[in-house]
Amino acid sequence: MKKLTEKQGFKSVRASILCILAGLLVGFVVMVILSFVNDWITIGDAFHGLAILLGGPFSSGTAQYIVTNLGDMIFYATPLIMTGVSVAIAYKTGLFNIGAAGQFLMGTMGSLLVALNINTSGKPVLGILVWILALVVGALFGMIWGAIPGFFKAVFNVNEVIVCIMTNWIAANIVSWVFGAMPNLVNSGSGKSGYLITTAVTGNGTPKAGLDKLFSGSYLDFGIIVAILLAVLIYVMLTKTTFGYELRACGANKYGARYAGMNEKRNIILSMAIAGGLAAVGGAIYYLNPGIEFKFSSAYSKLPDYGFNGIPAALLGSSNPIAVIFVSLFIRYLSIGGDNLTSAGYNKYIADVIIALIIYFAGFSRLFNDILSRRRKAAPAADTAQRGAIAAAVSSVKPADPEKKPETTEKLIEPEKPKNDGKEAEE
Amino acid sequence: MSEQPYVIEMRHITKIFGTLKANDDITLQLRRGEIHALLGENGAGKSTLMSILFGLYDPDEGEILKDGKPVKISDPNDATALGIGMVHQHFKLVENFSVLDNIILGNEDTVFGFLKKSTARKKVEDLSKKYGLAVDPDAIIEDITVGMQQRTEILKMLYRDNEILIFDEPTAVLTPQEIDELMQIMKNLAAEGKSILFITHKLNEIMEVADRCTVLRKGRYIGTVDVKNSSKEELSEMMVGRSVNFEVEKKPAKPGKAILDVQHLSVKSTSHPKDAVRDVSFKVRAGEITCIAGIDGNGQTELGYAITGLAKAEHGHILLDGEDITKKSILYRAEHGMSNIPEDRHKHGLILDFSLEENIVLRRYREPEFQNHGFIKFDEVRKYADRLIDEFDVRSGAGALSSARSMSGGNQQKAIVARELDHEHKLLVAIQPTRGLDVGAIEFIHSEIVKKRDEGAAVLLISLELDEVMSLSDRILVMYEGELVGELDPKKTTVQELGLYMAGAKKDKIKEA
Repeated sequence: MKKLTEKQGFKSVRASILCILAGLLVGFVVMVILSFVNDWITIGDAFHGLAILLGGPFSSGTAQYIVTNLGDMIFYATPLIMTGVSVAIAYKTGLFNIGAAGQFLMGTMGSLLVALNINTSGKPVLGILVWILALVVGALFGMIWGAIPGFFKAVFNVNEVIVCIMTNWIAANIVSWVFGAMPNLVNSGSGKSGYLITTAVTGNGTPKAGLDKLFSGSYLDFGIIVAILLAVLIYVMLTKTTFGYELRACGANKYGARYAGMNEKRNIILSMAIAGGLAAVGGAIYYLNPGIEFKFSSAYSKLPDYGFNGIPAALLGSSNPIAVIFVSLFIRYLSIGGDNLTSAGYNKYIADVIIALIIYFAGFSRLFNDILSRRRKAAPAADTAQRGAIAAAVSSVKPADPEKKPETTEKLIEPEKPKNDGKEAEE
Repeated sequence: MSEQPYVIEMRHITKIFGTLKANDDITLQLRRGEIHALLGENGAGKSTLMSILFGLYDPDEGEILKDGKPVKISDPNDATALGIGMVHQHFKLVENFSVLDNIILGNEDTVFGFLKKSTARKKVEDLSKKYGLAVDPDAIIEDITVGMQQRTEILKMLYRDNEILIFDEPTAVLTPQEIDELMQIMKNLAAEGKSILFITHKLNEIMEVADRCTVLRKGRYIGTVDVKNSSKEELSEMMVGRSVNFEVEKKPAKPGKAILDVQHLSVKSTSHPKDAVRDVSFKVRAGEITCIAGIDGNGQTELGYAITGLAKAEHGHILLDGEDITKKSILYRAEHGMSNIPEDRHKHGLILDFSLEENIVLRRYREPEFQNHGFIKFDEVRKYADRLIDEFDVRSGAGALSSARSMSGGNQQKAIVARELDHEHKLLVAIQPTRGLDVGAIEFIHSEIVKKRDEGAAVLLISLELDEVMSLSDRILVMYEGELVGELDPKKTTVQELGLYMAGAKKDKIKEA
């Protein structure tokens, strides 16, 4: 049996934790520096601030607040889980779904068109049926929206990133336009401009499923269950089924997948459609909550919030749908803490800075892993420094070859003249 | 010879990786102005030794002397400073730069930060005249022949005034004419006082051009001989450790009905506007190994792609066991009895990031044996993978769970061969099945292919290796510039005659339609 420490999953978790620690450390340094620059913050505030941040929802005073904050943390993590899984599954197929934002908006639009146009107040059973319908319609909107870049990629080999970015803007403007043409859905309450009514008005809100009792005062609803179920479903699909095997093969080596007889074009479109559907469900369950209002005017200004945060969630979770659940919860944990930072004299956006730092370090996670693996092995022939030197030397004489990353010492035995066509040294 | 110091002397070099001695007490002495061949099988330690000389590795024991004085080479810059240059087997050229730009790259003269090419051009022209290295300094690399690209690489070394030139399997990519030219260039260079280290496993070339030859086997130094006083047989015995039987043991073929029938096939080229395969017709019969021979780049790759479904046929038809499969998918072909050992094991043959077992079921995961309602039966996959790993002696770090990327090239190839041969098939399309393998693995794969033939499979072999073509096939078709120019019987023909066809010097009309 392999030791725990050698499992790939363990390595990913270890690297992610290192990213988090490094991000927190640098974030703390920023807070300390701020305490020197600003008169109204002391060095003690920096420690206090760090404690608040680390405390997350638990740093918020009374027990009632803690419960409410915990519930909200989970609620706000829900759309993040969905966009994170959306980016993750596309990534496993070798695609970068930067269009999760647009798919999220299309899902929001699809679900709200259903949920706000049908009034079921006072008829709870019917309300749940309409809610399900709204969710499905939202998902379909997103699937179609996601399939568009997939189609262009598969058939015309247009880079999916470009098409995704375009579809994001198109989605944002379509949403503003469509709801702008439906004055009956607009909230005409005083002081409101550009907001839609909520599902509380039409009675099609997401069921609470008892979670409001557990986390009283929070927004939390059944949506989180849907998100977790979908993430687990996608995980099982990717790791246990032939379809997932095909998607991963297409992502890892599309030529090899073709040779194996897989239809890589179909798989690209399907993968993007599923990714789009997932992001859309994220939008749908967020805005189907009876307490959340959708601001349809200038929807494009909200694009980053919605979809783009899925990218770091997927990255930090190594594109593993289960890990994305925990990462999303963690990101929300920090931002809830950030909301309380004002009591230490800091702006709440410092939490965003620290989250950004952690994500930035996530980019180095492979490096962290390599460093740790190297130390652990401590191969007699190749100590860390020497390997570094070899890597540097090799990279100076041969062009970066993405097909070959030296991963084991076995690979280094015969470095062989750099061959790009796939020939390789014998043992 | 006199007591003059060697220009480069590597003394008692030992390099250990983990438990493996890649180099075990190897001594290599290079004289000024000589062509010194370094001979050995794959894995014999040639590359490790050259990496040490080039500063990529530090030796665990031993020392390197330049002109009799000990030197320390800890990175390639040190090697360059000592005048050591290397022509890699796969060129390190910027494709869309001109020849001149490539030569001066990294060593440019500038005036106030602006490139000044005139002196460089003069020097390159002088060098190319002096050594007979014909190049057009303004041609763009991607437009010129492989031979001229190689001359550009050589000029790169000469431009930097390198004295010690390492040629790493330089002839693998060349046509016979270009090989002759290269041999002449090497002789010129040696005559002008340059010292050449020539890495190869082609004995004919050593006999033709080298002065001395050092032989390595399994990391150990076997000996250095004067080529004049030696023979091919002696060298090959030193290299392999036993007298080599290049013949494949096989009974005469008993051809049956035609399994693969290619009719007037034309295939577009990926790199130039002309068709890569032009109006090619041939049949492959059951119980027969038919070989397409030719120099690399004469349309064999495209032909293989078209037959296996990786590329579209422009014109013509492909029939598999009587059924027209010209427009059928790769999957359909595989399910109807076509196995394929692909030319490029990293691009097509394997998903490098997958485990060995995932790669072993790559072509069969859809079969009910390995899946149930879309869920992969991991137990069955493991059992199947373990069986093939055992039968084909596929060696890897962690058995079925090893990452394909971590395996050596030979074992990667064995895994592909195992997968394709075990899959039930009427036709095996084997493209370069033994590329980059050592003699032992080659013998094994050849015998497995012959076994499949004897069981009644039709085998289409596409190979660049003349030895393989001559020893394995029952029938040879020669391809030249996209056309079939000759049909030969390996028992009646000679390598020389085959070479003439391959070089386009001889052409027959192929009668078969």
